[in-house]
Amino acid sequence: MSHLFEHNGASGRGYSQPDPIYPVDNLQIPSSLVRSKLPRWPRISEPEMVRHYTWLSNRNFGIDTGFYPLGSCTMKHNPRVNEVIAQLPGIADLHPLQPEHQIQGTLAIFHEMQEMLGICAGMDAVTLQPVAGAQGEFTAIRCFQEYFRSRGELNRTKVIVPDSAHGTNPASASMAGFEIVEIPSQADGRLDLDALRAVVGDDTAAMMITNPSTLGVFEPEIAEAAAIVHDAGGQMYYDGANFNAILGRTSPGIMGFDAVHYNLHKTFSQPHGGGGPGSGPIGVKSHLAEFLPGPIVERREVASGDTLTTVNDEWWYHWQEPAHSIGKVQQWHGNSGAVIRSWAFYRRYGKDLKTMSEHAVLNANYLRHVIMKEAEEKGVSHVFCDGAPVDVVKHEFTLSLAPLKEQKGLGAMDVAKGLLDKGYMAPTVYFPLIVPECMMIEPTETESKEVLDEFARKFIEVLQEDADVLHNAPVTTKVRRVDEVYAARNLVLSYPFDE
Amino acid sequence: MVDQLPNLGREKEMLAAMGMSSMDDLFADIPESVRMNEELPLRGPQSEEEILADARRILGANVALGDRVNFLGAGLNRNYVPASVFQLVTRGEFLTSYTPYQPEVSQGMLQAMWEFQTLISELVGLEVANLSVYDVSTAAAEAITCSVRVHNRKASQKNTIYVSELTPPARVSVIHNYTQGGGITIKTLRHNPDGTLDLESLSEAAGSCGIYVEQPNPLGILDGGLTSVKEIIGENTAFIVGVSPVSLGLVEAPGNYGADIVVGEGQALGSPITYGGPLYGIFACTKAYLRQMPGRIVGRSIDVDGNEAFCLTLSTREQHIRRHRATSNICTNETLIALMGAMHMSLLGPEGLEKLAQRNMAACQLAKQKLSEISSLNIPHVTNTHYNEFVLELPGSASECISYLDTQGLIGGFDLSNWYPEHKNWLLVSFCDQTTSKDIDLLTAHLSVWVASMKGVTV
Repeated sequence: MSHLFEHNGASGRGYSQPDPIYPVDNLQIPSSLVRSKLPRWPRISEPEMVRHYTWLSNRNFGIDTGFYPLGSCTMKHNPRVNEVIAQLPGIADLHPLQPEHQIQGTLAIFHEMQEMLGICAGMDAVTLQPVAGAQGEFTAIRCFQEYFRSRGELNRTKVIVPDSAHGTNPASASMAGFEIVEIPSQADGRLDLDALRAVVGDDTAAMMITNPSTLGVFEPEIAEAAAIVHDAGGQMYYDGANFNAILGRTSPGIMGFDAVHYNLHKTFSQPHGGGGPGSGPIGVKSHLAEFLPGPIVERREVASGDTLTTVNDEWWYHWQEPAHSIGKVQQWHGNSGAVIRSWAFYRRYGKDLKTMSEHAVLNANYLRHVIMKEAEEKGVSHVFCDGAPVDVVKHEFTLSLAPLKEQKGLGAMDVAKGLLDKGYMAPTVYFPLIVPECMMIEPTETESKEVLDEFARKFIEVLQEDADVLHNAPVTTKVRRVDEVYAARNLVLSYPFDE
Repeated sequence: MVDQLPNLGREKEMLAAMGMSSMDDLFADIPESVRMNEELPLRGPQSEEEILADARRILGANVALGDRVNFLGAGLNRNYVPASVFQLVTRGEFLTSYTPYQPEVSQGMLQAMWEFQTLISELVGLEVANLSVYDVSTAAAEAITCSVRVHNRKASQKNTIYVSELTPPARVSVIHNYTQGGGITIKTLRHNPDGTLDLESLSEAAGSCGIYVEQPNPLGILDGGLTSVKEIIGENTAFIVGVSPVSLGLVEAPGNYGADIVVGEGQALGSPITYGGPLYGIFACTKAYLRQMPGRIVGRSIDVDGNEAFCLTLSTREQHIRRHRATSNICTNETLIALMGAMHMSLLGPEGLEKLAQRNMAACQLAKQKLSEISSLNIPHVTNTHYNEFVLELPGSASECISYLDTQGLIGGFDLSNWYPEHKNWLLVSFCDQTTSKDIDLLTAHLSVWVASMKGVTV
């Protein structure tokens, strides 16, 4: 049976529950509020339910299934001990309103994470509260906004983003009330400093940029860009989506940024779970610290009278509200479960996070190299080109399949579907928008050389396929090419009980 | 030594293939002026077993709710979640997948989320649900901006939303952060002394873009008056209701009494509290709001062979397409937690949900009865029906009472002066399906002792 809602067993109830501890006839629900009809939920037994979701899982592709080179998403292996740790009652069974003496362990881990994230990014203060990268962006932009308001600089109404930026950048700044100024990139995808100079001014609040860029290319003139924005009185925002490339090699702080978000579900391996949860802490320079959403964790030496805990006998951890906090972006303390997993991930590497980034970059460059080499050997170099003609890339790279489109009428999406038939998750396609027929490939550090070699071979095989084959792809998947236009024109957003 | 990198020790070979000799060559594009020259001042790597041991030791210093008799809720709820939910949700095909951009290899999660949308639609009585936002607070904030987009043109009170004065300050703060950029004015809705919504003054909100209230409200009250709200505010003002989803096993679906948008904290269905995150925010609405709603939506479609297939739809509302004109900046959501919710809802079924709601409410009723027998404790809203929490007015400060109960091994509840500073003596006590009669007897006994110990108070 393929539909959950077709299960309607007479006995119902997937799990039995003890009886209520008070007579249910005396619950006294106001008559106008008595539920008239129970929801049409399935009646399914546990064995049927387990089989249904196992069946669904078999129709889904994760990193555990195979290579997942989804550019900008950093789909690395998720160490399983992190899942075990996140289910310990000392985190899973905690309430955010418990008093500090009952949660010293969690506060200690939060403090360690705040410190570590600050060090890696060269920032002075960190909040773990934002629950996703986009929310981190929004939070930092709000901090910029309050910073300017505190200085009476109400004229700073514009946020500059390059045309290669993630869509969340302009969306987040716009939600905070800023006007977006988009600047074109240079032909090779790099930041255009002249374009930047032309738009900065008294009305500049900030520039949002990721480095390496969405093309996987390090912006060599980043310090100059920061100086241009700072000279105009604006703030620099670092979109941390691509942070996996640079740990221990450089940092947003060194490059001149004032704020940064971290995607714990990318760089620090919180599993992405089919679309979330994520976690998007932000780090800021000291001048912005007083505006962070609160509270954040601080510590002091243990004093007499403290309830001693077994974390250690040195430090007492406590919440502290920043002096001019923007308030809350999530009601509690963020996605703590994600923070704990990322803490376990951090402990796995420690200062070797640098090695992690090196291997992410090694793998990306190696894969790029073997794809190009294989293409040359198989005579298909003419059907695609580099998205950015640089010597080295960072953690990801882009290819343009525009020549293939011209020669055979096949787009990046057709190649993506062909890769699904080879047993791979497809790379990101049609992003960044500035690369025509773009395919964005990010292998991450947790793939072996053999996987990369094999992928390069299969990728070239796909490019060699007949147009018919690729137009038809995929053929090996659970369903064939899905009609997204049909879905939008014939909206069926829930199970049609009456069909 | 790090054990997560398959190519460790093979760097030279791979570099050589590219004509390079050192890792530094890969970073030659980073200008010297912005290089990090020192080693990261962090600890060394640990083995899995060391990390687990540290985690057990450090997190073991916490007091878990299950270690104590617990009456802390305030919007989060410690309902039992069946073991199969945890077993299934950690299947790697779900756990380690990304947003389903390639539907042909993501049918499992897409269908599961389409089913989630259906479960939520049925639960709240509205046609459309998305596949979650972060939590109820951001759901409420997004519902407000959505309502302004839909109604502002016709509104006589432009850019104005009314929010219940009882709304917890942290939620109000989230709403403020999400709405201030759009120039939205937040006005407050008053309540009667008995804790119900003041319907007399509600007419002030007619002509605004929307109102936000909760059912049960933050004092735990099930407010029958909400069924008259839509009539008072009219067609062109959105009626946004925040719900505790489990309560809907007994309480009418807001869609059936005029709600245009229903939001809620999904956590009680499927997820442990996890120190307040990850949770999942429920967002459902009528079709009139569909094209202005935030977040991802799954639609049923067909593949080229005409077979049923699922995919993300209506993406043109979203940031990756619409950029700064998107309905929201949300990208990552809480899919995996919503999946846990779907699994729990499936196992419950309609009658199981009803029973779960009864168990929550029954524990609350029993406690109300027992605690009302302590003479110097007042229950300010006693004439109303409470779902699974209510306010106790103490003869002393709630914070002192909580400290006392702590010494007796009880997590006594929530000091409401944190939300309502004028009410120093208000303790919010919460119950769930795990609350036993014995727990309630313990609370009653310890509160009696504390009350008796209060100076100048005669029991």
